[in-house]
Amino acid sequence: MLIFAPVKIVTSSISCLVLLTMLSMVCFAQKNPGESDTLATRQLDALIVTATRNERTLGALPMPVSLISKNQIRTIGSLRLNDILTEQTGLVVVPQVNAQGNGIQIQGFNPDYTLILIDGEPIIGRYTGSLELSRIAVGNIKQIEIVKGPSSSLYGSDALAGVINIITDRPQGTRGNAAIRYGTNNTLDINGDIGFIKKKLGVYVYANRYHTDGYDLSPQNFGNTVSPFTNYTLNSKITYKFNSVTDISVAGRFFNEDQVFRFEVESNGNRTRTSGNGNTRDWNFNPVLTHRFSDKLKAIARFYSTQYKTETYLNLETDGSRYYEDDFRQSFTRPELNAEYYFNEKNILTLGGGYINEEVQTTRYGDEEKRSQETSYVFFQHEWLPLEKLSIIAGGRYDYNTIYAGQFSPKLSSRYELNKKVTFKVSGGVGFKAPDFRQLYFNFNNSAAGGYSVLGTEVAMDRLAELDVAGQIQAYLFDPAQLGNLQAERSVSINAGATVEILPLLKMDLNIFHNSINNLIETQAVAITTTGQSIYSYRNILRAYTQGLESNFTYPLARYLNLSLGYQLLYAKDKDVAEAVKSGDVYWRDPNTLVTKRLKPSEYFGLYNRSRHMGNFKLFYDHKPSGWEGSLRVIYRGQYGIGEIRGNIQGEVIPPSDTNSNSILDVYDDFVPGYALVNLSIAKTIKHSLRFQLGVDNLFDYKEPVLIPNLPGRLYYAALSYSFSK
Amino acid sequence: MNLIKSILSVVLFVGFTIAFTGCDEEIDPLPVVATTFTNLAADPGTGFNPANGQPTGLTRKFTLFSFKTGEIILNTDSATNKWDLGFNGTSIIVNSATSGPGSSQAQVVSGIFDEYATAPESGYKSDNDPAPIAGAPNANLAIPTGSGQGWYTYDGVNMVNKPTAGKIILVKTSEGRYAKMEILSYYKDAPSNPTFNNEARYYTFRYVYQPNETSTFN
Repeated sequence: MLIFAPVKIVTSSISCLVLLTMLSMVCFAQKNPGESDTLATRQLDALIVTATRNERTLGALPMPVSLISKNQIRTIGSLRLNDILTEQTGLVVVPQVNAQGNGIQIQGFNPDYTLILIDGEPIIGRYTGSLELSRIAVGNIKQIEIVKGPSSSLYGSDALAGVINIITDRPQGTRGNAAIRYGTNNTLDINGDIGFIKKKLGVYVYANRYHTDGYDLSPQNFGNTVSPFTNYTLNSKITYKFNSVTDISVAGRFFNEDQVFRFEVESNGNRTRTSGNGNTRDWNFNPVLTHRFSDKLKAIARFYSTQYKTETYLNLETDGSRYYEDDFRQSFTRPELNAEYYFNEKNILTLGGGYINEEVQTTRYGDEEKRSQETSYVFFQHEWLPLEKLSIIAGGRYDYNTIYAGQFSPKLSSRYELNKKVTFKVSGGVGFKAPDFRQLYFNFNNSAAGGYSVLGTEVAMDRLAELDVAGQIQAYLFDPAQLGNLQAERSVSINAGATVEILPLLKMDLNIFHNSINNLIETQAVAITTTGQSIYSYRNILRAYTQGLESNFTYPLARYLNLSLGYQLLYAKDKDVAEAVKSGDVYWRDPNTLVTKRLKPSEYFGLYNRSRHMGNFKLFYDHKPSGWEGSLRVIYRGQYGIGEIRGNIQGEVIPPSDTNSNSILDVYDDFVPGYALVNLSIAKTIKHSLRFQLGVDNLFDYKEPVLIPNLPGRLYYAALSYSFSK
Repeated sequence: MNLIKSILSVVLFVGFTIAFTGCDEEIDPLPVVATTFTNLAADPGTGFNPANGQPTGLTRKFTLFSFKTGEIILNTDSATNKWDLGFNGTSIIVNSATSGPGSSQAQVVSGIFDEYATAPESGYKSDNDPAPIAGAPNANLAIPTGSGQGWYTYDGVNMVNKPTAGKIILVKTSEGRYAKMEILSYYKDAPSNPTFNNEARYYTFRYVYQPNETSTFN
């Protein structure tokens, strides 16, 4: 990220300082060394780029933004992105059955609705909708920025629930680090990074090897819950300063993962064993050129190209014949230009535009043909400080695409500082998600017992016509002519909150949110074949809302001991179901007495996989003088329901929560019980360079083998690292 | 006097009888009661093919049912209007149009079975009337087939068909009488949480048949 780059000409850095002081109340705290030692204050001073695409202090932003620092990632002993995200208030790592991916849920949105970026550029490979978070190693992460609420006004598609931007390390003097960690399940992580700056040139390289044997939650069944895998990550960043006003940064990433599978599958009514391999690979290339035309105008040219590829096969163990094969390739290329114009202390304008070319090639679309999509976009953002205590950010983006209708996504945010102890923030905006390749081009036929076909909307008409001519359609359940073009899914959201210093040093952050989501794409049964198989396609049919509140408290219990508490209340409901329940049109049948009753509005729980309550309790100890640090974290997730997941975990079906014949989740259904995980870590650093760490995650070994397959049992680990800097 | 008295008492007696009988007819008719019919076999077959899970040994015949008698009608009477509904797998036919010589009609409504007091005047349909989509003989039944379309929802995980809660089938028989029914289970002996191991194609349902010329169910 080269926005307000570290080296500036003197005048612009002064004006920048003035601006930052204007924007941030917390800068006052910075002047007072007595107060600046708390974690909270340091966090507020941290620079965030995701919310505005420009560096702004966290405390000054008018929208809900949180930051995970490198320190926190290290202290809790995280290795992969899911480890660290799962401990944040309001974020849930949800298992993706059948997709072997763990996605992130924010404000009750499914994982597909959060944009995940590395240094401002999207990670691709949403093979079945969500991104596998364990693809991302955390060793080279400088900080993780999380913006909640729609950010399509800056980032376009997929940013409905929010944006998670992973900011990686960049060259900063001569330094290096080598680390090794070993733990339960034969999990071995080795990583190292090295960086130096020589005159105008800066170089930073990071390498990681991660291996785990996976784990087996149902030893009575064949195969593992998570099969063993090994991956390698290589990241590099080179910066070069041509002169005082122009610099370039070139970043690259390469990732390769191999996983060894052994599954028992059903073939011709018999259970048979298979084994195979899954390979996932991605790389990216990201040069960014920054030029300051004057004190007032800065322009950035970015180019980003990335590819993702996954190949999986399974062979029958009996005769070695091929049982299953699947491959998926995706590429994403984007040039973008943006400029920031600094009118005066009270007005800053950002303008930008770009073009995206995306391509997908997969066996799942029935052929190996390349499908592509092109999007062009422009965006603007104006930061305005009409009063000393009031700041307003207005922005919008227009995305033009040939397949779905053009999308305009505005956003307006405002922050008002009542006094030094109370600050209010309100932001409203629109987010959208383009129909994905799957929904457009899927041509998938599951021919096993009780099989079905899924057809993307762009291919459904032709394919159905073919089947009809062949006499294979028994009946149409939906007029295929009405399938039509899929539209983007859209949300309109509001976030309103306050930061309050309740007592000296006891800080509370509160955010109330409401997201109204329309045009949600859902499968639509279209026809039944003569063999009784259902054929599905997709339609914009669902409407939903999510609302709730999030609050975080931080308090330094002692000089080196910080306490934080987080809580999220969430209501996520299907609007149509909620309305039908309200008008008395939804019923439930007691499975034992077979008596049918009318469902009351208070009895409709909401969407599957959403917990009404979740929270965390964290204690962080960091004693710099002695080098000791430690943490105790308790992460709670309240009860939730499971929908119809037509897959299995090691051959065991996942029982759906709905047990009373109304296909919705109500209070009489079976829930996955709430649970709390307790994680501990302790570390000692000697002479600022040698560091030992011991930790245990999931201390009480909580497991739900079928319902929560992404939750391994208790994990111990020990780590050793050495770092140097000149 | 005696004669007059006795005539009067006869008249009175007749009058009372008429009055009481009238009361029986109009104010206090024989109460119609809900009856539960268990395990109506809807062509269950003789087994199933392990390769595809499909039942084997199917007769492809519909099991016919009469609300009036509350009993199964033999297939030999399929060409009469003795029966009202026919069951085969998840398909339910009414005795009319493409399905039979009668004029039975039906519709599926939402509500609580016990609370559903009066059958509506309209909304009833015959089978495949209007004509169905070409090549789809049963695409337009009065009681629609398909998961979520008519009376049941398919649970793809347990691979079972569950009667959708709150769905009531209203039938107007060939004799112009009304019946309401609620299907409770599609599996033998109506287990509370059926799985694909339970024997399918056995209907358990509750119904109320109104033998009189009224559309009320009480």
